[in-house]
Amino acid sequence: MDGLTPAENRELETRLQKRQVKEFMAVFGNLVDNCFQSCVDDFTSKALSGRESGCISRCVTKSMATQTRLGERFAELNAAMSAEMANR
Amino acid sequence: MFGLGRAKPTSAEKIAAIENELKVVAEMHSRMIKVCTSKCIDKAYREGELNKGEGVCLDRCSAKFFEAHQTISEQLQKEGAARGFGGPSM
Repeated sequence: MDGLTPAENRELETRLQKRQVKEFMAVFGNLVDNCFQSCVDDFTSKALSGRESGCISRCVTKSMATQTRLGERFAELNAAMSAEMANR
Repeated sequence: MFGLGRAKPTSAEKIAAIENELKVVAEMHSRMIKVCTSKCIDKAYREGELNKGEGVCLDRCSAKFFEAHQTISEQLQKEGAARGFGGPSM
């Protein structure tokens, strides 16, 4: 692919930033869904119990650790896959 | 313009192509996280940290995910071609 002009680069930057915001919102949404699903099951009250809150907090921390680890693996694997496809 | 090949891509096309490629990669990333979380992480959330077993499981899950992606992609192309489907290479 030909290189991009500075103007094209700026346009790309803008688009990517928008995309990043969208992706963050998606991650946030998945986190809420996932942690709620896993941790909340007691509807005898309308407030989160201590147990549920603790679970949610641990769920968030663990989910972020998971994202970090998988992010690293993904970058390695993606780079390897791209290199392998380029050499075919 | 007779005899010339494909016209040069416009600015918009170039940018869209790059954006699209990144989109594909980002989607794969997101699916991998969903699937490996579901396969490796205990939903009881007893601790806030990844334990060793979970960590190793995530590493192996991501490697297998990529391998499965490639295997499926290749098989799909083979079988698709045999059945007469076209399709972009993945």
